[in-house]
Amino acid sequence: MTNLLALKLTSVSKRYGDVTAVDYLDLDVKKGEILGLLGPNGSGKSTTLKMILGLVKPDSGSVNVLGINVEDDPVAVKRKVGYVPESPRVYEFLTGLEFLDFTGDVYGMQLEEKKKRIEEFLKALDLEGREGDMISSYSEGMKQKVVIISAIMHRPELLLLDEPLSGLDPKSARIVKDLLHEMASQGVTTIMSTHILEIAQAMCDRIAIMYDGRLSALGTMEELRQRARMPDSGLEDIFLKLTGTGDIKPVVEALMK
Amino acid sequence: MNWKNVLRLVSVDRKYSRVIRGTRFRRFRENRIVTYALYIGACLFGLLIGWLVANFYNGISDTTLKELFLQGATSLFTTLPTLALLYGLVFSQMGQMQRIGAKVSIQPLYWFPITWKEHTLASILANLIGWPLIITIFIGSSTSLASVPLGLAPLAVFTMLALLASLFLASVTTEVFKILQVRISGAVTKVAGRAAIWVRLLGSILFFIIFYLAYFSLYYSVSLPALIESIAGGQRILWFIPYVWLGIALSAFISGLMLETMIFFLASLAFIYFLFLAAARLNVRFGLYEAPSITISHGAYIPKAGLLGRVGFSSIEAAIIKKDFRAFTRRRELMYIFIMPIVFTIIPLISSMRGATGGSLPSAFYSFLFVYLTLLPGTLMTVALGSFIIGSEGGGVWYIYSSPISAKSLVKAKYFFATLFSFAITLVCFFIGVLLTSPSLQITTIGLTEAILLIFSLGMVSLTFGIRGADFREFPRPRMIRPLWSFINGLVCILLALTIISPIIPYGLKILFETMQASAAISIPLPESYLYAALPLSGIIALVVTYLFYRKTVENAEEFLLKAET
Repeated sequence: MTNLLALKLTSVSKRYGDVTAVDYLDLDVKKGEILGLLGPNGSGKSTTLKMILGLVKPDSGSVNVLGINVEDDPVAVKRKVGYVPESPRVYEFLTGLEFLDFTGDVYGMQLEEKKKRIEEFLKALDLEGREGDMISSYSEGMKQKVVIISAIMHRPELLLLDEPLSGLDPKSARIVKDLLHEMASQGVTTIMSTHILEIAQAMCDRIAIMYDGRLSALGTMEELRQRARMPDSGLEDIFLKLTGTGDIKPVVEALMK
Repeated sequence: MNWKNVLRLVSVDRKYSRVIRGTRFRRFRENRIVTYALYIGACLFGLLIGWLVANFYNGISDTTLKELFLQGATSLFTTLPTLALLYGLVFSQMGQMQRIGAKVSIQPLYWFPITWKEHTLASILANLIGWPLIITIFIGSSTSLASVPLGLAPLAVFTMLALLASLFLASVTTEVFKILQVRISGAVTKVAGRAAIWVRLLGSILFFIIFYLAYFSLYYSVSLPALIESIAGGQRILWFIPYVWLGIALSAFISGLMLETMIFFLASLAFIYFLFLAAARLNVRFGLYEAPSITISHGAYIPKAGLLGRVGFSSIEAAIIKKDFRAFTRRRELMYIFIMPIVFTIIPLISSMRGATGGSLPSAFYSFLFVYLTLLPGTLMTVALGSFIIGSEGGGVWYIYSSPISAKSLVKAKYFFATLFSFAITLVCFFIGVLLTSPSLQITTIGLTEAILLIFSLGMVSLTFGIRGADFREFPRPRMIRPLWSFINGLVCILLALTIISPIIPYGLKILFETMQASAAISIPLPESYLYAALPLSGIIALVVTYLFYRKTVENAEEFLLKAET
C-alpha cells in the first residue's frame, strides 16, 4: 500500500506565532493522482505545499514523499518534485532560455535530454522567438509559462502547483491541463492549489477542501456532493457550503446600499 | 495646467524619494516635523548669518573698508544664480542616481486625467525639494537680511528671483537628461543585443567613476572662494551659453544697465520655458518607461558542459556560478558592488598622487603604493561579494530553497564566484601596480601572496556573515544583508586581515624606517630569512581562518536552506 502512495501526511501541524496555519493534517495521495487543494485565503494550502517540499518544517507530524521522509533527506525529495509557487519571482536578468538551461543543470539533466525538452516546451507554450530575450521584458503570463516549464521539464514524480494557470492564455492553459492529465496517466502525481473551481472540478481526481488549517472535506466530486447533500450542485456551491462562507447575499446587498 | 494635480504629484514623488532612501517600505510613517525641520533650520541659520553680517558691516568705521566690503557683497550676489545652477544640477542628478538602484519606480498614471505637462512640471519641482531648496532658503534668508543695511535690498529681491529661476533651470535640465538617458539606453539595448549588457555595465561603471571623481575633486581641492571668483570672472566671457544669462542679468542690474538686464532676464525665462516644453514633449514620446527587451541570444540552442563542469564542479554548482556571473553583470543595483571598491581605491590613490606632485618621492612610497593597489581592491571586492552574494538572490531565493542543492554545494558555488572575481580584480590591479611602481621581487611576492591569502580567507568569513545576515527584501531597494551583520562582518574582516598580515608588518615597518632619514635612529633588525618564515606563517593563519569559517558557513547554509518559512 505504501508503495502506491506518493504522499503521506501524518498529523502535520504548523503554527506561526498565535496563528495555526495547518492543524494536525492527515492526507494520503496515490501515485498518478491529481489532487485539487482548495480553500479560502489563509486556510493553509500554501503552507501545506511548502511542508511537502521541505521548505517549511512542521511543528509536529511527519511528511513522507515518494517513500522519503522529508526531514531526513529534503534534497532527495526536491530532486523528485516540480514546484510552482504562488507568486514566483524568477531571475529576471536571465533570458527564458538561460533560466531553463539553469533549471536543467540544477536538476542534473543530460545535455541532449535538456535540449530536447526545452525546445519542445518552448514550442508548445508559444515562447519560441522570445526565448533569447531577458525575462524582465516578459509579460506575467510568459513568466508563468517559464516557471511551469521549469517545474515539469526534469520529469518530476510529484508536482506541487500553487495557482499554476494564473495569467496563462487559454491555449497554454489547455496545453498544461492536458499535459498534467497525460503525466498522471504515466504515474506522475499532482497536487494543485487553486481558487478557480471550474479547473479543479474539471481536472482533479479528488478534491481536498481546507478551512482554518484543517481538512474539512476530501473526496471525488460525487463524494463531496453527497457530503454536502447537494446532489446536482457544482463545486462552487459545495465549496461555499462546506467552508461555511456561503451566505453571500447579505454582503452584496449591503454593498449595493 | 491643473495646479492641484501638480502639487499632488509633487507630494507623491517626494514621498517616494524619502521611502527609497529609508529602510522601511511597508510601514513608512512620515514625521512632518522632522521633514520640515531642515527648511526651518536653514531659514533661521540664514537669518542669523545675515544678522551677523549686517552687524559686522555696521561696525566697520573705515569707509574704504566699507566700500570694499560692499563691492565684495555685490560680486557675490552676481555669482549666486550660477552657483545655484551648479548645486541644483549636482543634487538633482544625485537624486536621480539614488533611484537607479530602487526596485520600485513611479510611473506616470497615464490613464488618469493628468496631462504630460503636469507630470513634467511636478517631476521638475519635486527634484528641487530637499537640499537644493534648503541651500536656497539659507542663501535667500541671509542675503535678504544682510542686504538691508548694505543698501542692496532691490538687488537681493532680484537675486532671489534669479536663484529660483536657476534652480528651476537646473531641474528642468536634469529632467531632459533623464528622459534622454532612458531613450538612449533603450535605443542601445535594442540595437546592441548581447553587447548591450556590456555597454550598460561598463557605461555604468564609467559614469559612477567619473561622477565620484568629479565630486571628490570638487570636495577636496576646489575652495568655495576660488569657485565664486572663477564664476564671477567667467560668466561674461561665456555670454553665449544660456545657463549664465541669469548671472549676467544680475551684473547688468548692478551696473544700472536696465535694458541689458531685461534682455538677459527675459531671455533666461524664455530658455527655461523652451526647455520645459522640450521636456514635456520628450515625456510624451518616451515618458512611459518599459523595460527594454534585451535579446541575448538568437538561433539554435546548444547546451554545453562548460569549463566549470570539466574542472570538477557539479552541474548544479556550475549552474549557480554561471547564474551569479550573469546577475552581477546584468543587474544594475549589483553594479555598485563592482564600483565601490574601484572608487574607494582610485580616490585615495589620486589624492596621494596629487600630493606627490612637485617633489621626488622616497622609494618606500612606491612600494606601499604597489602593496596598496594589490591588496585593497581585491580584498574589498571579496568582502563585498561574500557578504552580498546570498542576499542578492532577492525574491528569486525560492528557487534556491526548492532546488535539490546541498549546503556544501551552495557554499562551494558562492565562495568560488566571490573569490574568483576578486582574484581577477587583484590580478588587474597587480599588473597596473607593477607597471606604475616597478616593485622589487620581494615586494611583488609579499603583495601578491598576501592578496591571495586575504581574498580566500576573508571571502569565506564574509560568506559566513552574508548567509547569517542575508536580507532578501527587494523593496524599495535590494538590501542583501542586514546592517548589523554587515557591520559585524566589516569589523571581523578588519581584525582578521590585520591578524593575517601581522607577520609581514615588521618587515613593512623596517622598510619604512629605513627610508625615513629623520627617524634613522629607529631600526628594526630582521634577519635576511625573515620573509621565508613570515609568509608561510601568514599563510597558516589564513588557512586556519578559512577552515574555521568554512565549517561555520556550511552550518549557516544548512540552516538557511530550511528557513523558507521566514
